[in-house]
Amino acid sequence: MSKNRVSRRQFLNYTLTGVGGFMAAGMLMPMVRFAVDPVLQSKGESDFIPTPQKVDEITEEPTRVDYKFEQVDAWYTSEETGTAWVYKDEKGEIVALSPVCKHLGCVVDWNTDKSNPEHFYCPCHGGLYTKDGKNVPGTPPIAALDVFPIKEVDGYLYLGKAEPR
Amino acid sequence: MKWNSQDIQLFIKEREYIDTAVVPLYPVSFREDMKQSVSMTEFIQLLSGQLEKQFKGRLLMLPGISYLKTLSEDKLTSDLKEWEDELISQGFKHIFYITSDSDWKTVEDKLTGGLIWMPSIPLENMDDQYKNSILDDQVKQLLNLFVRKWQNND
Ligand code: FES
Repeated sequence: MSKNRVSRRQFLNYTLTGVGGFMAAGMLMPMVRFAVDPVLQSKGESDFIPTPQKVDEITEEPTRVDYKFEQVDAWYTSEETGTAWVYKDEKGEIVALSPVCKHLGCVVDWNTDKSNPEHFYCPCHGGLYTKDGKNVPGTPPIAALDVFPIKEVDGYLYLGKAEPR
Repeated sequence: MKWNSQDIQLFIKEREYIDTAVVPLYPVSFREDMKQSVSMTEFIQLLSGQLEKQFKGRLLMLPGISYLKTLSEDKLTSDLKEWEDELISQGFKHIFYITSDSDWKTVEDKLTGGLIWMPSIPLENMDDQYKNSILDDQVKQLLNLFVRKWQNND
Protein backbone atom coordinates (compact mmCIF):
# COMPACT_ATOMS: atom_id res chain seq x y z
CA MET A 1 0.00 0.00 0.00
CA SER A 2 2.68 2.44 1.07
CA LYS A 3 4.70 1.54 -2.06
CA ASN A 4 2.05 2.93 -4.38
CA ARG A 5 1.76 6.20 -2.61
CA VAL A 6 2.74 9.18 -4.68
CA SER A 7 5.50 11.12 -3.03
CA ARG A 8 5.35 14.89 -2.81
CA ARG A 9 8.13 15.16 -5.37
CA GLN A 10 6.37 12.88 -7.84
CA PHE A 11 3.12 14.70 -7.38
CA LEU A 12 4.71 18.03 -8.18
CA ASN A 13 6.47 16.53 -11.18
CA TYR A 14 3.30 15.15 -12.64
CA THR A 15 1.32 18.30 -12.16
CA LEU A 16 3.98 20.57 -13.57
CA THR A 17 4.47 18.40 -16.64
CA GLY A 18 0.75 18.35 -17.10
CA VAL A 19 0.34 22.07 -16.84
CA GLY A 20 3.43 22.72 -18.93
CA GLY A 21 2.17 20.41 -21.66
CA PHE A 22 -1.13 22.15 -21.64
CA MET A 23 0.52 25.51 -22.00
CA ALA A 24 2.73 24.28 -24.80
CA ALA A 25 -0.28 22.92 -26.62
CA GLY A 26 -2.03 26.23 -26.17
CA MET A 27 0.80 27.96 -27.90
CA LEU A 28 1.44 25.42 -30.60
CA MET A 29 -2.09 24.76 -31.71
CA PRO A 30 -2.76 28.20 -33.19
CA MET A 31 0.58 28.02 -34.93
CA VAL A 32 -0.21 24.67 -36.49
CA ARG A 33 -3.64 25.93 -37.40
CA PHE A 34 -2.11 28.96 -38.96
CA ALA A 35 0.09 26.83 -41.14
CA VAL A 36 -2.53 24.27 -42.09
CA ASP A 37 -5.69 26.32 -42.44
CA PRO A 38 -4.95 27.98 -45.77
CA VAL A 39 -4.32 24.54 -47.22
CA LEU A 40 -7.66 23.33 -45.96
CA GLN A 41 -9.47 26.40 -47.17
CA SER A 42 -8.24 26.45 -50.71
CA LYS A 43 -10.25 23.41 -51.70
CA GLY A 44 -13.75 22.16 -51.15
CA GLU A 45 -16.87 24.21 -50.47
CA SER A 46 -15.31 27.63 -50.50
CA ASP A 47 -14.75 27.52 -54.26
CA PHE A 48 -18.48 27.52 -54.86
CA ILE A 49 -20.30 30.79 -54.38
CA PRO A 50 -23.95 30.82 -53.34
CA THR A 51 -26.48 32.64 -55.50
CA PRO A 52 -30.00 33.76 -54.58
CA GLN A 53 -31.40 31.56 -57.39
CA LYS A 54 -33.63 28.63 -56.37
CA VAL A 55 -32.80 25.61 -58.49
CA ASP A 56 -36.42 24.53 -59.03
CA GLU A 57 -37.30 27.96 -60.37
CA ILE A 58 -34.85 27.76 -63.25
CA THR A 59 -36.66 27.62 -66.60
CA GLU A 60 -35.62 27.02 -70.18
CA GLU A 61 -35.33 30.77 -70.73
CA PRO A 62 -31.87 32.10 -69.88
CA THR A 63 -32.14 34.41 -66.86
CA ARG A 64 -29.63 36.68 -65.22
CA VAL A 65 -28.41 35.54 -61.85
CA ASP A 66 -26.38 38.02 -59.83
CA TYR A 67 -24.21 36.88 -56.97
CA LYS A 68 -21.82 38.56 -54.58
CA PHE A 69 -18.30 37.53 -53.82
CA GLU A 70 -15.18 38.93 -52.31
CA GLN A 71 -12.37 39.83 -54.59
CA VAL A 72 -8.84 40.22 -53.36
CA ASP A 73 -6.84 42.59 -55.49
CA ALA A 74 -3.32 42.58 -54.09
CA TRP A 75 -3.93 43.88 -50.56
CA TYR A 76 -7.30 45.31 -51.26
CA THR A 77 -10.45 43.27 -50.76
CA SER A 78 -13.70 44.43 -52.22
CA GLU A 79 -17.18 43.06 -52.68
CA GLU A 80 -17.92 42.41 -56.28
CA THR A 81 -21.06 41.40 -58.10
CA GLY A 82 -20.84 38.63 -60.63
CA THR A 83 -23.43 37.55 -63.15
CA ALA A 84 -24.34 34.32 -64.89
CA TRP A 85 -26.90 33.38 -67.53
CA VAL A 86 -28.76 30.36 -66.21
CA TYR A 87 -31.29 28.01 -67.83
CA LYS A 88 -32.29 24.37 -68.24
CA ASP A 89 -31.36 22.70 -71.51
CA GLU A 90 -33.56 20.17 -73.40
CA LYS A 91 -32.26 17.38 -71.22
CA GLY A 92 -33.34 19.30 -68.13
CA GLU A 93 -29.78 19.95 -67.11
CA ILE A 94 -28.82 23.30 -65.68
CA VAL A 95 -26.46 25.43 -67.74
CA ALA A 96 -24.73 28.50 -66.29
CA LEU A 97 -22.82 30.66 -68.76
CA SER A 98 -20.44 33.50 -68.11
CA PRO A 99 -21.74 36.77 -69.59
CA VAL A 100 -18.26 37.97 -70.51
CA CYS A 101 -17.83 38.22 -74.27
CA LYS A 102 -14.90 36.19 -75.55
CA HIS A 103 -13.92 38.91 -77.95
CA LEU A 104 -12.83 41.81 -75.75
CA GLY A 105 -14.82 41.32 -72.61
CA CYS A 106 -18.09 43.26 -72.78
CA VAL A 107 -21.15 41.83 -71.07
CA VAL A 108 -23.51 39.93 -73.35
CA ASP A 109 -27.29 40.05 -73.15
CA TRP A 110 -29.91 37.44 -74.03
CA ASN A 111 -32.30 38.06 -76.87
CA THR A 112 -31.70 41.77 -77.26
CA ASP A 113 -30.78 41.86 -80.93
CA LYS A 114 -33.98 42.06 -82.97
CA SER A 115 -32.48 40.55 -86.10
CA ASN A 116 -31.08 37.59 -84.15
CA PRO A 117 -33.66 36.45 -81.59
CA GLU A 118 -32.82 33.66 -79.15
CA HIS A 119 -29.15 34.48 -79.18
CA PHE A 120 -26.70 35.99 -76.74
CA TYR A 121 -25.75 39.35 -78.16
CA CYS A 122 -22.76 41.55 -77.43
CA PRO A 123 -23.56 45.24 -77.91
CA CYS A 124 -19.93 46.19 -78.40
CA HIS A 125 -19.10 44.73 -81.81
CA GLY A 126 -22.15 42.63 -82.54
CA GLY A 127 -20.81 39.34 -81.23
CA LEU A 128 -23.37 36.52 -81.30
CA TYR A 129 -23.64 33.22 -79.44
CA THR A 130 -26.28 30.52 -79.69
CA LYS A 131 -28.22 29.52 -76.59
CA ASP A 132 -25.68 26.87 -75.66
CA GLY A 133 -23.00 29.57 -75.66
CA LYS A 134 -21.27 28.67 -78.94
CA ASN A 135 -19.97 31.65 -80.84
CA VAL A 136 -21.57 32.29 -84.22
CA PRO A 137 -18.88 32.27 -86.92
CA GLY A 138 -18.54 35.52 -88.80
CA THR A 139 -18.98 37.62 -85.64
CA PRO A 140 -15.90 38.83 -83.74
CA PRO A 141 -15.77 36.32 -80.85
CA ILE A 142 -13.49 33.37 -81.50
CA ALA A 143 -14.57 31.10 -78.68
CA ALA A 144 -17.66 29.93 -76.83
CA LEU A 145 -18.77 31.58 -73.60
CA ASP A 146 -17.17 30.18 -70.45
CA VAL A 147 -19.18 27.76 -68.36
CA PHE A 148 -19.63 27.77 -64.61
CA PRO A 149 -19.47 24.44 -62.80
CA ILE A 150 -22.66 24.25 -60.75
CA LYS A 151 -23.85 22.67 -57.55
CA GLU A 152 -27.13 22.56 -55.67
CA VAL A 153 -27.03 23.24 -51.94
CA ASP A 154 -30.31 23.28 -49.97
CA GLY A 155 -32.26 24.07 -53.11
CA TYR A 156 -30.07 27.00 -54.14
CA LEU A 157 -27.71 27.29 -57.05
CA TYR A 158 -24.00 27.52 -56.31
CA LEU A 159 -21.47 28.53 -58.93
CA GLY A 160 -17.83 27.54 -59.25
CA LYS A 161 -15.20 29.37 -61.21
CA ALA A 162 -16.11 29.84 -64.88
CA GLU A 163 -13.99 27.73 -67.21
CA PRO A 164 -13.27 28.05 -70.90
CA ARG A 165 -14.42 25.15 -73.05
CA MET B 1 -10.64 48.99 -70.83
CA LYS B 2 -9.40 50.37 -67.59
CA TRP B 3 -6.44 52.66 -67.23
CA ASN B 4 -4.09 49.95 -66.01
CA SER B 5 -1.13 48.16 -67.52
CA GLN B 6 -2.92 44.94 -68.23
CA ASP B 7 -5.87 46.51 -70.04
CA ILE B 8 -3.74 48.99 -71.91
CA GLN B 9 -1.70 46.20 -73.39
CA LEU B 10 -4.88 44.75 -74.81
CA PHE B 11 -5.99 48.20 -75.91
CA ILE B 12 -2.82 48.73 -77.92
CA LYS B 13 -3.25 45.38 -79.60
CA GLU B 14 -6.95 45.72 -80.39
CA ARG B 15 -7.12 49.43 -80.84
CA GLU B 16 -9.35 49.39 -83.90
CA TYR B 17 -12.19 47.96 -81.81
CA ILE B 18 -12.00 50.48 -79.00
CA ASP B 19 -13.42 53.61 -80.54
CA THR B 20 -14.91 55.27 -77.48
CA ALA B 21 -13.22 57.30 -74.76
CA VAL B 22 -14.98 58.12 -71.50
CA VAL B 23 -13.71 60.94 -69.32
CA PRO B 24 -15.13 61.25 -65.79
CA LEU B 25 -15.15 64.84 -64.52
CA TYR B 26 -14.62 65.27 -60.79
CA PRO B 27 -15.20 68.64 -59.11
CA VAL B 28 -12.98 69.41 -56.11
CA SER B 29 -13.86 72.07 -53.59
CA PHE B 30 -12.66 72.89 -50.09
CA ARG B 31 -15.35 75.45 -49.40
CA GLU B 32 -18.95 75.15 -48.30
CA ASP B 33 -19.71 72.73 -51.17
CA MET B 34 -16.83 70.42 -50.22
CA LYS B 35 -19.09 67.58 -49.09
CA GLN B 36 -21.11 67.84 -52.23
CA SER B 37 -18.05 67.70 -54.44
CA VAL B 38 -16.95 64.56 -52.61
CA SER B 39 -20.24 62.78 -53.05
CA MET B 40 -20.30 63.73 -56.73
CA THR B 41 -16.88 62.21 -57.15
CA GLU B 42 -17.84 59.06 -55.29
CA PHE B 43 -20.97 58.61 -57.28
CA ILE B 44 -19.33 59.07 -60.66
CA GLN B 45 -16.51 56.73 -59.68
CA LEU B 46 -19.03 54.02 -58.90
CA LEU B 47 -20.95 54.57 -62.10
CA SER B 48 -17.92 54.70 -64.33
CA GLY B 49 -16.64 51.48 -62.76
CA GLN B 50 -19.86 49.72 -63.69
CA LEU B 51 -19.91 51.24 -67.12
CA GLU B 52 -16.39 50.04 -67.81
CA LYS B 53 -17.29 46.54 -66.72
CA GLN B 54 -20.23 46.34 -69.09
CA PHE B 55 -18.50 47.80 -72.13
CA LYS B 56 -14.92 46.82 -71.49
CA GLY B 57 -14.29 45.81 -75.08
CA ARG B 58 -15.33 49.02 -76.72
CA LEU B 59 -14.46 51.89 -74.43
CA LEU B 60 -11.42 53.23 -72.73
CA MET B 61 -12.18 54.61 -69.27
CA LEU B 62 -9.77 57.45 -68.64
CA PRO B 63 -8.48 58.13 -65.14
CA GLY B 64 -10.75 61.16 -64.94
CA ILE B 65 -10.13 64.86 -64.59
CA SER B 66 -10.24 66.53 -61.21
CA TYR B 67 -10.64 70.27 -61.37
CA LEU B 68 -10.95 73.06 -58.87
CA LYS B 69 -14.47 74.35 -58.46
CA THR B 70 -13.01 77.86 -58.12
CA LEU B 71 -11.72 77.96 -61.68
CA SER B 72 -13.59 79.96 -64.24
CA GLU B 73 -15.89 78.34 -66.71
CA ASP B 74 -13.79 79.55 -69.62
CA LYS B 75 -10.62 78.08 -68.24
CA LEU B 76 -12.29 74.73 -67.54
CA THR B 77 -13.84 74.58 -70.98
CA SER B 78 -10.64 75.41 -72.79
CA ASP B 79 -8.74 72.79 -70.77
CA LEU B 80 -11.28 70.18 -71.61
CA LYS B 81 -11.12 71.15 -75.27
CA GLU B 82 -7.47 70.29 -75.25
CA TRP B 83 -8.24 66.81 -74.04
CA GLU B 84 -10.89 66.55 -76.67
CA ASP B 85 -8.60 67.60 -79.50
CA GLU B 86 -6.00 65.08 -78.44
CA LEU B 87 -8.54 62.27 -78.18
CA ILE B 88 -9.98 63.06 -81.59
CA SER B 89 -6.57 63.26 -83.19
CA GLN B 90 -5.78 59.88 -81.67
CA GLY B 91 -8.69 58.38 -83.51
CA PHE B 92 -11.45 58.07 -80.94
CA LYS B 93 -14.78 58.23 -82.73
CA HIS B 94 -16.89 58.76 -79.64
CA ILE B 95 -16.03 60.84 -76.62
CA PHE B 96 -18.18 61.01 -73.51
CA TYR B 97 -17.83 63.07 -70.38
CA ILE B 98 -19.58 61.78 -67.34
CA THR B 99 -20.18 64.01 -64.35
CA SER B 100 -22.55 65.03 -61.57
CA ASP B 101 -21.50 68.66 -61.72
CA SER B 102 -24.36 70.48 -63.41
CA ASP B 103 -22.19 73.48 -64.28
CA TRP B 104 -20.97 71.57 -67.31
CA LYS B 105 -24.43 71.65 -68.79
CA THR B 106 -24.10 75.32 -69.62
CA VAL B 107 -21.07 74.72 -71.81
CA GLU B 108 -22.32 71.50 -73.32
CA ASP B 109 -22.68 72.81 -76.85
CA LYS B 110 -19.11 74.07 -76.95
CA LEU B 111 -17.93 70.48 -76.65
CA THR B 112 -17.66 67.92 -79.42
CA GLY B 113 -18.00 64.98 -77.07
CA GLY B 114 -21.29 64.05 -75.44
CA LEU B 115 -21.93 65.26 -71.92
CA ILE B 116 -23.63 62.79 -69.66
CA TRP B 117 -24.90 64.44 -66.54
CA MET B 118 -26.05 62.13 -63.77
CA PRO B 119 -27.45 63.84 -60.69
CA SER B 120 -25.54 62.50 -57.74
CA ILE B 121 -27.49 60.49 -55.23
CA PRO B 122 -26.51 60.72 -51.53
CA LEU B 123 -25.44 57.10 -51.26
CA GLU B 124 -23.84 57.36 -47.85
CA ASN B 125 -27.12 57.09 -45.97
CA MET B 126 -28.47 54.08 -47.80
CA ASP B 127 -28.28 50.43 -46.97
CA ASP B 128 -26.37 48.32 -49.42
CA GLN B 129 -29.25 46.61 -51.10
CA TYR B 130 -31.12 49.79 -51.81
CA LYS B 131 -27.95 51.44 -52.97
CA ASN B 132 -27.28 48.63 -55.42
CA SER B 133 -30.74 48.70 -56.89
CA ILE B 134 -30.53 52.45 -57.42
CA LEU B 135 -27.12 52.16 -59.01
CA ASP B 136 -28.31 49.31 -61.22
CA ASP B 137 -31.08 51.51 -62.48
CA GLN B 138 -28.78 54.39 -63.27
CA VAL B 139 -26.29 52.11 -64.99
CA LYS B 140 -29.04 50.67 -67.15
CA GLN B 141 -30.02 54.14 -68.36
CA LEU B 142 -26.41 54.88 -69.06
CA LEU B 143 -25.92 51.69 -71.05
CA ASN B 144 -28.90 52.46 -73.23
CA LEU B 145 -27.53 55.85 -73.97
CA PHE B 146 -24.25 54.41 -75.19
CA VAL B 147 -25.85 51.72 -77.29
CA ARG B 148 -28.10 54.28 -78.93
CA LYS B 149 -25.18 56.56 -79.76
CA TRP B 150 -23.22 53.72 -81.22
CA GLN B 151 -26.14 52.54 -83.31
CA ASN B 152 -26.76 56.00 -84.70
CA ASN B 153 -23.20 56.36 -85.82
CA ASP B 154 -22.29 52.90 -87.04
S1 FES C 1 -16.44 42.56 -77.08
FE1 FES C 1 -18.14 41.35 -77.64
S2 FES C 1 -18.07 41.49 -79.80
FE2 FES C 1 -16.35 42.64 -79.21
